[in-house]
Amino acid sequence: MNSQKIISIIVLVLSTIAILACLVINLETWIVYTVSIFGIPAWVLSLGLLTMAKPKPEDAEERVKEPFTGY
Amino acid sequence: MNLMANILIQVIIAFLAGSLLLGLHRKIMARVQRRPGPPIIQHLLHSLKFFFKETGFPKTASKPFYIGITFILALIWIVGVIAGPVAHDSLLILFGVYAVYKIVEHNSGSSSGSPYGKLSCVRAVLSAATELPLFAAIIFVYLVTGTMNIGEIIAYQSVHGPLIFSIPLAALMFFMLIITKSPYSPFAITKDKVLISGFETEHYGLLRGFMHFSESIAWYVMLWVFLTIFFGPLTAVGYLVGMIVITFITGFINATTPIFSPNHSVMTQITIGAICFFGTILMIFTGVVA
Repeated sequence: MNSQKIISIIVLVLSTIAILACLVINLETWIVYTVSIFGIPAWVLSLGLLTMAKPKPEDAEERVKEPFTGY
Repeated sequence: MNLMANILIQVIIAFLAGSLLLGLHRKIMARVQRRPGPPIIQHLLHSLKFFFKETGFPKTASKPFYIGITFILALIWIVGVIAGPVAHDSLLILFGVYAVYKIVEHNSGSSSGSPYGKLSCVRAVLSAATELPLFAAIIFVYLVTGTMNIGEIIAYQSVHGPLIFSIPLAALMFFMLIITKSPYSPFAITKDKVLISGFETEHYGLLRGFMHFSESIAWYVMLWVFLTIFFGPLTAVGYLVGMIVITFITGFINATTPIFSPNHSVMTQITIGAICFFGTILMIFTGVVA
């Protein structure tokens, strides 16, 4: 498992816990704002990093090539 | 209602409504150009589909920055939802959100390492001209109502009537911002087709879907703010009708107007902004605005 996948799982779990905690417990307003401002984008992004399809190993190099490197 | 539940509901509404409105925008443009166009739901489906598409990160990209900038884009529009529909807070926060959005356009283009993105990044600096009319519009709203707080502006309008009738030129300046941010706008110099997709060119797959998510929320928030500060207290049906009408108008304008060159775009925005600015000052000093 690569580091990107591990980080995504950790962020997804943490953001889910934080959002659920704010839903269940009545926390201070600034805590809820902070969790929603950072937690919601983190939840969506980490979920996306886990659900996205990866290129096949033989195509991986081709996918990351930039036609105009050197600018 | 629990605050987090309220925020989550508003974010989901903003995403769904924004996606459908952008789909409607595309449909209207197509029908004006006598094309069938994609279904209205297509923008929403695209946003969701991209989350499962094959995604790689270009070799030339600065990876943490390249991914991080999409995160910041989502973050600022979540702030927009909180400051607007959820908390009815200060207009200055929304101005700050828009200012950071320009930074995102700039850095999204530069982080990929693509020449198209870099050129778009340079144009993002030029297109900051849109912020001047926006700031002027906010100042006029403050001069008339005596407050920057959206909740208090709504209360002011429920007593004195919608601001669109007292400061129409300020509303026009704000509307300029909406036209500028609408897809295929004549002022969208950062996404000019000569730059492929501009600053989004190298953000494909998941990251493009994530940017679609943020842009749908952005479209909803901008329309919500415009309707709220110029049309007073509205019901949910009022917002829905208002958003559809504005989407229709921008779709029609964008379908019939070619994209400007960067210098023409900036000069047009500044000229319209200046006319509206001095026009509103004239209206205030001649007593037209109470």
